[in-house]
Amino acid sequence: MPELSRILHVEDDPSIQAVAKVALEAVGGFRVLSCSCGQDALDQVQGFAPDFILLDVMMPGMDGPQTLAKIAQLVDIGRIPVVFMTAKVQPAEIEHYRGLGARDVIIKPFDPMQLAAQVRHIWSRVHG
Amino acid sequence: MAEPDPPTNELQRQLQLLGEKFAERLAHELPELASKAQLLQAADHQAQLQQLRSLRDQLHKLAGAAGTFGFASIGQRAHELEQQAMHWLESLRLQDQGLQEFIQQVQQFAAQGVQSEPAPNSRARPQATPKAERDVHCIYILEDETSIGESMRLTLGNFGYHAEHFSRVADLDAALQRRLPDALIIDVNLGDSEQTGLAYAAALQQRLEQPLPLLVITTEDDFATHLEAVRVGAMGYFTKPVDIPQLENRLERCFAQQQGEPYRVLIVDDDHHLASRYSLILRGANMLVEVLESPAGIFEAMSRFNPEVVLLDVNMPDCTGPELAQIIRFNDDWLRVPIIYLSAETDITRQMNALIKAGDDFVSKPIADNALITTVFSRAQRARLLSIALSRDSLTGLLKHADIKEQVGIELERAQRSGKPASVAMLDIDLFKQVNDSYGHVAGDNVIRALANLLRQRLRRVDSLGRYGGEEFLVVLPDCPATQARRILDEIRQRFAELHFIAGGSEFSVTLSAGIASTEQGASDAGELLERADRALYAAKHGGRNQVSQS
Repeated sequence: MPELSRILHVEDDPSIQAVAKVALEAVGGFRVLSCSCGQDALDQVQGFAPDFILLDVMMPGMDGPQTLAKIAQLVDIGRIPVVFMTAKVQPAEIEHYRGLGARDVIIKPFDPMQLAAQVRHIWSRVHG
Repeated sequence: MAEPDPPTNELQRQLQLLGEKFAERLAHELPELASKAQLLQAADHQAQLQQLRSLRDQLHKLAGAAGTFGFASIGQRAHELEQQAMHWLESLRLQDQGLQEFIQQVQQFAAQGVQSEPAPNSRARPQATPKAERDVHCIYILEDETSIGESMRLTLGNFGYHAEHFSRVADLDAALQRRLPDALIIDVNLGDSEQTGLAYAAALQQRLEQPLPLLVITTEDDFATHLEAVRVGAMGYFTKPVDIPQLENRLERCFAQQQGEPYRVLIVDDDHHLASRYSLILRGANMLVEVLESPAGIFEAMSRFNPEVVLLDVNMPDCTGPELAQIIRFNDDWLRVPIIYLSAETDITRQMNALIKAGDDFVSKPIADNALITTVFSRAQRARLLSIALSRDSLTGLLKHADIKEQVGIELERAQRSGKPASVAMLDIDLFKQVNDSYGHVAGDNVIRALANLLRQRLRRVDSLGRYGGEEFLVVLPDCPATQARRILDEIRQRFAELHFIAGGSEFSVTLSAGIASTEQGASDAGELLERADRALYAAKHGGRNQVSQS
């Protein structure tokens, strides 16, 4: 299994951005680049070369699904899993997101102590 | 790859800090929400929609974020309001009254704000909603066969539970993040999942601070699966096809055990220091403890405190433990109270002698905290169960004939004093003999138990409920006019008819009839009221059964 070390996190809410960074870096030992909007992510994704992308669904401007569509043109999302983070979804919505190319959905609110494990779990499913 | 060991303290500190920052943010944001809601009132339709969208987005953010920082109930409430906002946006029609209500709710939410929240943990976890917020038990069902899962959900709903069904582990996980249920029902054999239901349950229980009451359903009936179920903390084991009323009965028992009042323990020991130490240990295990230093106070302490277990020091200056135990045993009322000796005595013969005179058990000093708790707990638990079994009907746990009849008299007098009408309802299971004849007595007992549980769930706390005869039940409803009683009983009648029972591979359902009488028409005594209810029941039976009639 390839090693998971770099995570791109796209989230407009500064509180969530900060807590996810702490959770993923301190608990998971990952390196995290936080972006505040879809455009920011598109500008940075090739330079940062992430192994894994976490994407908020509801963002002003370009939303999560739109950002995903554009990211897919820039990098290989078969190799770099993109996972949505969103509040309380119906099973049908999860299916919908999968159809867009997302590998999984992490439900908000998330437990900061568990986030890294959730990411790792998805990673091992994709690459295991 | 191994998980790097996190520098936990530093991490906790950082999370704490972020939590505090988020609390500050809430302090700004909640008033903002309130003023946005206020603006909804004045604006024209287009502006209203725009305002509402912005409100929805902000609520959505809160719903997603608050729980992460330990503000679980703010997150939950924000989510509910967000759903409402979405509903408004989808219908595109803002009706005046509903909108007013919505605005008020948002403002209330904003005003309650952070004060309503228990102190957040720096480590946010999904938290169970406090008991007081709801009387309804929430049950999650993990069952990959949709038809089975759905029928369980519906039946448990009829019993008054809030049940949710999930076909996939991922969906259950998502729901667990939102809210922890009061109990879990898990199918062991999950068709296309890579893990079994038990493996999932084991991992889940590990993750939780307190394991959830768990029932498993399975097609396996072998010893190994039973053992595995016990090891993940299952409190019930059901093979398919599942008899749902029986499963409900088990749930009921789980909750009854959980919600039990603390056990009352009396310690008699002249050594003040030791007594307070024992008392401290037992209080730590959530028991109510009283200490008596002088044996002469025993009568007063027994009658006033009504202990469920007595701990006696063997060697006291004025009176030995065994002597005191014999004094307690003179009184038949206290016969069911277990007596445990506390003593430095390790001489087995002398311990035996003490036990032969009176008393039930011995613990030797110095005693480990856990051993003390376990001994007292197990004795108290058994004593309580026995005492309940003696005063209650063994099959249903309801009051027996004489006790429920007495209750009718009590409520009749109360109604006459207060001027508020009381009703009584007499219920009888239709064609019960046929159930017994066709499906056997075990099936018949299940039906009776199911009705008892259904009644317990649907009736108010002030109502009394008794098993009047074989398949006959009596309900006493204080402060309840006949029309209301009729509505309540009719709802119970419908729900009961919807239950499916399973016996010997076949499925059947049963109906009930009920007769209602109330004090509104005046009643001189309990006998008269009961007679009228009985006549109404007779009328219901004559009218074709499966109905409620009123005298």
